[in-house]
Amino acid sequence: MSEATFEEAQRELEQIVHRLESGEVPLDEALRLWERGEQLYKLCRDRLERAEGKIEELATRVEATREKP
Amino acid sequence: MGAFNRGIASWLGRLPTVWVEGEVTELRRQARWASVFFTLKDPGDGACLAVSMPRGQFDALRLDVADGDRVHVYGRPELFEARGEFRLRALSLERFGLGDHLAALERLKRKLAAEGLFAAERKRPLPSLPRQIGLVTGNDAAAKRDVLSTIQARFPPASVLVAETYVQGPRAAGSVIETLAALCRQPDVDVIVVARGGGSFEDLLPFSDERLVRAIAACPVPVVTAVGHEQDTPLCDLAADARASTPSVAARLVVPDLTELLQRLDRARTGLERGTRRALDRERQKLDRMHERLGRAPQLLVERGHSRLEHAAGRLRALSPKATLARGYAIVRARDEIVRAGSDVEPGERVEVELAEGGFGARVEETR
Repeated sequence: MSEATFEEAQRELEQIVHRLESGEVPLDEALRLWERGEQLYKLCRDRLERAEGKIEELATRVEATREKP
Repeated sequence: MGAFNRGIASWLGRLPTVWVEGEVTELRRQARWASVFFTLKDPGDGACLAVSMPRGQFDALRLDVADGDRVHVYGRPELFEARGEFRLRALSLERFGLGDHLAALERLKRKLAAEGLFAAERKRPLPSLPRQIGLVTGNDAAAKRDVLSTIQARFPPASVLVAETYVQGPRAAGSVIETLAALCRQPDVDVIVVARGGGSFEDLLPFSDERLVRAIAACPVPVVTAVGHEQDTPLCDLAADARASTPSVAARLVVPDLTELLQRLDRARTGLERGTRRALDRERQKLDRMHERLGRAPQLLVERGHSRLEHAAGRLRALSPKATLARGYAIVRARDEIVRAGSDVEPGERVEVELAEGGFGARVEETR
C-alpha cells in the first residue's frame, strides 16, 4: 500500500467510485470498497500535503555530495 | 573621423556590383524597418558577411527566404558610415536551394526516423505527480524563469532540480548530454525538461545534434523539450517524449494543477460516500420488501384456505337431494320412511310427497 504511486492510488480510487456508482455491488463488497477508497483518498491527500516545493541547483547538490567523505 | 568614413565609403562605392553565394542566417525583417537584414555565411569556412536589402524589393521577390537557405546575392559593398560597418547592399537575390545544414539535417532526420527513434510507440507517459523535475536550461533567465514560475504557480509542492548548462555554441550538445546524464543519476528525478528560448537557426543547431537526439531518446526518464519558438522543430523535439511550444507550456505538461487535483480527489471521495450509501439503501429496501412479504404470508394462507372451503361447499351442494328434486324428481315417504319399492306401501295408505318446491299428501290407489 505505501509503495503505491500517487497515480496508482488515484486511479484505484476512481475505479472504486466507478464500481460503487454503476454496478450492483453486494453490501459486504461495498463496505470493503468504501474502506479501501477512504484509505486511498487519505494516501493521496497525504502525498500532496507532505510534499514541500523546493528548487535546488544541481551544481550545489553535486558539490555537497563531493564534500562527504 | 566622419571624413575618414566618408572616404572609405566613397572608395567602396567604386567597387563593381558582384554575385556572392552563401547561406542566409539571422534574417531580421520588421514592418517598420526600411530594409531587411541578414548575414550571409560560407558553409565551408564559416566566413560571414552582413547584407541589407530594401524591404520592398525583398518582399517583391516572394522568395520566402528563411535561415539556412543557400542564396546568390547580387549587390554592391558599402559602408554604413554612421557606425563604420561594412556590408553588402543587395540589389537582387536568388535562391540556390536548401543550405547544406538543412540538407544534412533532413538526411539525419530521415535516418533517425528510419531507426524508429521518433516513433509514437516510444513516447512514454509523463508521471502525473513527479517526485522531482530535472530542468536543463541555459543561464539566460527567461526560459528558466518561465518554467520555474509556471511550476510554482500551478503546483507549489513540486520539487525542481535546476541544471544550468551551455545551450548555444560548439560545446552545447556535449554539455546538454552530460547534464542529462547527471540529472538521471539523481535518485528522485523522474522527468526532465529541456528548456531553451528562441534563437537563430544556428543557435538551435546543437539541439539537432545526432548525439544529443540519441541521448534524449535513450534517457531513462521521460524528457519534455521546449526549444526555440513554435515554428522551430529541432530534431531533439521529435525524439522527446513530449514537445512543448514554450517553456511555460513544458511546465504545464510536467505538473498537474494542484487546485484541480484536490477538487478531483474530493469529487472521488464524495462519489465514494454516495456509492456506498446507495449500496446500503439498496440492501435496506430489499430487506424491507422481504419483511413486507413475510407479513402478508398468514393472510394469504387464510385466503387460500377459504377458497378451498368454497370449492368443497359447491361440490357438497351439487350432491344434495335438493338438486335432484329441482330436476323434477320427487321423494315419497310413508310412515316417515322413504318409499323405494311398490311393496313398501299398502293400497289406501297415506304417503307424503316431497317436491323441489313444497309437496303434498296422497293415498295409494294400487301397488305393482
